[in-house]
Amino acid sequence: MRLKLALEVLGLLALAALIAVMPQLVSSFTAYEMATVGMYFIALLGLSILTGYSGQISLGHGAFMAIGGYTTAVLSVNGVYGHHIRDLWTIPIAGVVAGVAGLLVGIPALRLSGLYLALITFGIAVSFRQIPLKFDHFLGGTSGKVLSLLKTPFGLSATPNNWIYYLTWGIAFVLLVAAWLFVRGKPGRTLKAIRDSEIAAASSGISLARYKTLAFAMSAFYAGVAGSLYAIARGFMNPDVFPIVLSVYLVAALALGGVDSFLGLIVGASAIYVLVNRTADVTQWINHLPAVNLNPQRPGMPDVIFGAVLIVVLIILPTGVGGALRRLFGPLTSRLYSKS
Amino acid sequence: MLAAAVPVTAAGARPLATPGVTSTEIKIGSSVPLSGEAAIAGNVARGIDAYFKYVNAKGGVFGRKLKFVYLDDGYDPGRAVNNTIRLVQQEQVFAMFSSLGTSNNLAVRKLLNDAKVPQLYVSSGATTFGRDYKKYPWTIGYIPPYSEEGAVYGQYVVKNIKKPKIAVLYQDDDYGRDLYAGLRRGLGKKAGAIVSKVAYDPTSADVQPQVTQLKASKANVFMIFAFGKFSLQAFNAVSRLGWKPQIFVNDVSSASALMSIVPQNAANGSISIVFGKDPAAPGWRRDKGIRLFQSILRQYGADIGSRDLQDGYYTAGMATAYTLVDTLKKAGKNLTRDGVMRVATHLTEKNNPFVLPGIVIHTTSTSRFPLTQVKLQRWSAKSWHPFGKLLSIKP
Amino acid sequence: MYIAAFTWTEFAQQITAGVRQGAVFAGLALALVIIYRSTRAINFAQGEMATFTTFVCWSLMNHGLSFWAAFPIVLVIAFVGGVTIERTIIRPVENGPVITIVIVTLGLALLLNGLMSVIWGGGNRPFNGPFSTRTIDVGGVPISVQDIGIVAVSFVLVGLLALFFRFTKLGLGLRAAALNRDSSELVGVRVGWMLAFGWGLAAVLGAVAGMMVAPILFLDPNMMQTILLYAFAAAVLGGLDSPVGAVVGGLLLGVAITLLGRYVGFIGDTLKLPTALLLILLVLLVKPNGLFGRVAVRRV
Repeated sequence: MRLKLALEVLGLLALAALIAVMPQLVSSFTAYEMATVGMYFIALLGLSILTGYSGQISLGHGAFMAIGGYTTAVLSVNGVYGHHIRDLWTIPIAGVVAGVAGLLVGIPALRLSGLYLALITFGIAVSFRQIPLKFDHFLGGTSGKVLSLLKTPFGLSATPNNWIYYLTWGIAFVLLVAAWLFVRGKPGRTLKAIRDSEIAAASSGISLARYKTLAFAMSAFYAGVAGSLYAIARGFMNPDVFPIVLSVYLVAALALGGVDSFLGLIVGASAIYVLVNRTADVTQWINHLPAVNLNPQRPGMPDVIFGAVLIVVLIILPTGVGGALRRLFGPLTSRLYSKS
Repeated sequence: MLAAAVPVTAAGARPLATPGVTSTEIKIGSSVPLSGEAAIAGNVARGIDAYFKYVNAKGGVFGRKLKFVYLDDGYDPGRAVNNTIRLVQQEQVFAMFSSLGTSNNLAVRKLLNDAKVPQLYVSSGATTFGRDYKKYPWTIGYIPPYSEEGAVYGQYVVKNIKKPKIAVLYQDDDYGRDLYAGLRRGLGKKAGAIVSKVAYDPTSADVQPQVTQLKASKANVFMIFAFGKFSLQAFNAVSRLGWKPQIFVNDVSSASALMSIVPQNAANGSISIVFGKDPAAPGWRRDKGIRLFQSILRQYGADIGSRDLQDGYYTAGMATAYTLVDTLKKAGKNLTRDGVMRVATHLTEKNNPFVLPGIVIHTTSTSRFPLTQVKLQRWSAKSWHPFGKLLSIKP
Repeated sequence: MYIAAFTWTEFAQQITAGVRQGAVFAGLALALVIIYRSTRAINFAQGEMATFTTFVCWSLMNHGLSFWAAFPIVLVIAFVGGVTIERTIIRPVENGPVITIVIVTLGLALLLNGLMSVIWGGGNRPFNGPFSTRTIDVGGVPISVQDIGIVAVSFVLVGLLALFFRFTKLGLGLRAAALNRDSSELVGVRVGWMLAFGWGLAAVLGAVAGMMVAPILFLDPNMMQTILLYAFAAAVLGGLDSPVGAVVGGLLLGVAITLLGRYVGFIGDTLKLPTALLLILLVLLVKPNGLFGRVAVRRV
């Protein structure tokens, strides 16, 4: 046990070191891209707490990211009583606002079993984008809200790209440690008990309601922080910035990366980034295969590949994401990062 | 701030080179939807690409070849920002050109102006891109503003339709509202002739309920200020409800390819504006410009089918590309970003082969709307027929 | 300010539009329910499967077949496709957790959507349906033949399905397999093939829904996505395991959102989807298994 703990701490420290030196190794724009990967990673961390540890499914986490993004946009562009809040300080507020929204969804979610919850949260993902359109005087509608430019604050010498990189991964690291402590501690054990058998957990005196709602709120908090960072990095918010399919990508990436392997989530987050922003490059890469010649400007191919990979991965691991992926990643990561 | 460190060329050369410009190449970037709901509009970029290749084959601009890097944004502004940063910082493009969509261009305007990268001839009819040059001197629009288009329809109704009762279907965002506001302005004192207006949401399943509601107002004029499939559905609903109003359909939704697939009993007699030559219209079949367009597309386009040769998005792309090449030529051999902006804002271009004859593309430092002349056109026998004189609009 | 006044003619036309939309929702919702009963999961690929088969129909018609000649061919292709999907990619995960099946169907949706873009490209295509867009006079209200045709086809299909489930051995076997796998196996029902048959049937239902709406919505790879959302809502509203519920839920939803969007100014077109969601959430809070759903007993 003690050896395992030491290994886990060592692993976290190694990750911290890697995060710190990375911008020295890559180009400025790559750092900016990696920052985006970090944002998806944060959202996936939250989702993994929800799905991996409490067994609830959410197909609506794109909406919580959007809530975070809009909180940042409104506070920094509209301001509060004419007082504009610097975007950096809006990040925790965005997390809390999304967390409260998560709490509000989490309460009715208690009454819904798996599939109904999946459908309702998917409905939330789809419905949320209508809110900024309806209240466009306040939230900007499709024309959106233009935030201030990404700039390095406090007279720091980093380029804006490196600044958003360090900011994102700094926050990601803190949230990763928080999730790790949470999962190691009593709440994590309790959530796992709930995931494995709700009725058994309830019979042994665990308050299902409290823990499940807590998990929902926490995962929404993570998504809100991620959304806020995304809005800051892009400097723009409208309903299309967090498209509906993002919620699907998040759940799929969670399945790909491993539902309770934190490190695998980085792989999942990278997959989302590639799928969203590097589609033509994926096609070009496929063109290197023999007898393949696709037009890289032709859409569709990346989705075909992602869909096929998703299906194949899940079929090869028939006992399900929660069990089998952990076993698959077990030798690599679980011994380091998850308490099983 | 955004432009990464400018590479210093070897000793003896100029101390500061313009990003994206070498002795053999000019790199131009763009972000357009090649996937998603607005994917068809991505053909604008394919048209540009083909035209640049044609120019290159004829020697380029002052011996420099044009390299066009266009990336897919799926109409998502977040992706458009990411693409633009990639093009400016990683690809080091000389200028951004003809990126598509109002919000996608709004999303990158600040950062391009901050980095002093030209945002040339944006593909959006939002007035702000031509109007707000004091705040954003590096930005310039291209097509006529939507609000002016609405005004043209309003003026036509006042002049030509007795006792108009107007019903308006519009997309519930700034695009639809700009057109609507323009219509009211064009109607002037007769704005009361609008008897009903209904918005639709871009996530609608079908606009039949809206059209049903509009029909119930007993209007005899129907304005379709929609986008893509929603204008198709609107025509379809008009036909299915047995309604026979005079239809006006806004430019963005009036491509021949779209008009020819809706029920013709509803489409016939519809009116729209036009400023580019329509490759699908029989009137232009023998036109030099359209023949040039088709030969360029056949020779330099990628994956071109017979449908594409009649696709107005490709022609629109070539029209803009022609103006850009013109601009680059006038900016001279010593190409700088400052220089190109100066030319783009002092333009007089009389012979663009891809726009209607007689149209002069004209800008001054205080009037940044290159295209301000349009004609009206009427749909019959499965194609558009321009009529009347060139109309000048004053944004 | 410019809201048109209420007229009975328009009200009747709005109801017609609502019923027509509802009939399509019902068809797709029914497909969802049939799959739910056989696999205990929601098929997120139902919309893309429908659109894909509609594209197949478009291709056949493009090669010179008439709609009614292409129609049965498409239904057979849809059926075989549905069975194949169940046998190849659903079967291996069938006994896994629900989330695994859900993600596999999400993967299938992505795959099919991408495949349609690759094969047929984006953009809207005209789809010449079987019904004319002409209107006929029904009690003083002009109603299009197309609307009537769509509703009629949907109802006939639902009727046939009800007869099939009630009176054929195959239909009984399907119901038995859905209700209780182990006992069905004991009495000789080949449960595995029954489940695949369910997927085939669902694919056929989806194909019909797709071919019915394509003339109205115009064909593109994303055509059924919004419809699928409403079909989800309809299925949940009626109860995921109740075919009757799916049909009633679909029709109710179609009429309700059309009327709410038209006559409640605040909702308009923008808040239709959120309103539908809210209605369903309220129903679920009172009846967690939907209006017609059975109450399941959970075992430890």
